[in-house]
Amino acid sequence: MSAIAVEQLSHVYAGAEGGVPALEDITIDVDAGKFVVIVGPSGCGKTSLLMMLAGLRHQTQGTILCAGKPIPEPDPERVGVVFQEASLFPWLTALDNIEFPLALRGTPRDDRRRRAEEMLSLVGLDGFGGRYPHELSGGMKQRVSIARGLVQDPPVLLMDEPFAALDEQTRMTMGHELLRIWSTTRKTVVFITHSLTEAVYLADEVLVMSDRPGRIIDRIEISLPRPRTYEMMATDTFGKLRERIWQQIRKAA
Amino acid sequence: MSQAQIVAFRLALLAAVFAAWQLLPSHGIVDARLLPPLGDVLAMLGELLGRSQVHEAIAVTASEVIVAFVIAVPLGAAIGVLAAENDYFGQIFKPMLFYVFSVPKSIFLPMFILIFGIGFEQKVAYAAFSTIFIVIMSATAAVESVKTDHVLVARSYGATRTQILLRIYVPSMMPVLLETLRISMIFNFTGVMIAEMYASRTGIGHLIANWGENFQMPQLFAGVILLAAVAILFNEVIRHLEVRFSTWRT
Repeated sequence: MSAIAVEQLSHVYAGAEGGVPALEDITIDVDAGKFVVIVGPSGCGKTSLLMMLAGLRHQTQGTILCAGKPIPEPDPERVGVVFQEASLFPWLTALDNIEFPLALRGTPRDDRRRRAEEMLSLVGLDGFGGRYPHELSGGMKQRVSIARGLVQDPPVLLMDEPFAALDEQTRMTMGHELLRIWSTTRKTVVFITHSLTEAVYLADEVLVMSDRPGRIIDRIEISLPRPRTYEMMATDTFGKLRERIWQQIRKAA
Repeated sequence: MSQAQIVAFRLALLAAVFAAWQLLPSHGIVDARLLPPLGDVLAMLGELLGRSQVHEAIAVTASEVIVAFVIAVPLGAAIGVLAAENDYFGQIFKPMLFYVFSVPKSIFLPMFILIFGIGFEQKVAYAAFSTIFIVIMSATAAVESVKTDHVLVARSYGATRTQILLRIYVPSMMPVLLETLRISMIFNFTGVMIAEMYASRTGIGHLIANWGENFQMPQLFAGVILLAAVAILFNEVIRHLEVRFSTWRT
């Protein structure tokens, strides 16, 4: 069974004159445990699509099945979301941020703490649990965000440009770290980015979206072996894949 | 300069002001009838605090301040939240609220006397009136300081409306709310004092006005010290809480 199955999804924003088409005829099938990256020009509706997969927004047409069931509203047991930067609650410590989803469900304090400590350790932040977000670097904040997304152990993790605000070097490190975390947890990941290098480096499959109304105009299998290494970026295969995505995006914009 | 040095300088400055207050009048450098020496003022303060007339005045003023505060803050906060959260209400009433906010409230005092007389109700009504606008403005700002991103994150983890209110809105707004509490108390206290000094039969403000008119400077200064101490104390307690709840605001 697919982890995520989107069928003929379309979305129209209500507007002054009839409405603005935002997404058109999107069909996606993601097998469990796969890492899928969506790229596309700004304003193509990638984030809208992700919000729909998370149950945070409703499509006008088509179906979304997540682990075999529709997702009319957020279900953190099935889907975890990692947002763009600055989505941590600044009044909570790193550990309290990670515990937040569990606290909402009334998980006992001790269980919560133990689980959050495990997640903190998984993302490589042992010993930083007591820090507040403003005491952490950009990369560390996003590690905490990932830990928060994983704390309820959902089979699917949605990531909306999580590393967009980081500098190039941190971004590469974080991509590498994400793959390490992914390989130990075996989640199904849908990841949105603007960076083509990031897309090729992370993905099993890259979906290229067109300009508004967003459609899927290309699906590219990334056959590079795993575990991925930084050296692969210098290879011909990597360059060709990156180039192909770039050509598609240029045509689409 | 180190923190310890700064504190030392502050204390030295305070000591110098108090010393000058004691020594200048007692040596005849300034007129002791206009500025009685600090020692005399403190002695008078001690004596006044033993008088039942003063006890009564303190009780009246304190209850006016508390009742006006308890009316103005929740009511103003509710209106402010409504103005920020409800587009319709906000668009209709916000400009009007802003206009009235800019008008000095003391010009309305004669009307309050005509409507409520010069007793307890008038003090409370006027003080609440002069406080409520700042509370409305600040509450609106507090709601607007809540980040939509944070609400979205909470929703994505399945938070209910109540959980979003308690776990996102309240902590986001807490620093601004405490600041509001502190500043609205300044307005509130001022409102009660002005009303008491303008027309009243009792209360600390009334006593201070009387002492001034009768040229009883030691009593007047003792009253000023008493009020200043209470106002500063309240302000500092809330400010202390504010600092505790705003460490994350950088």
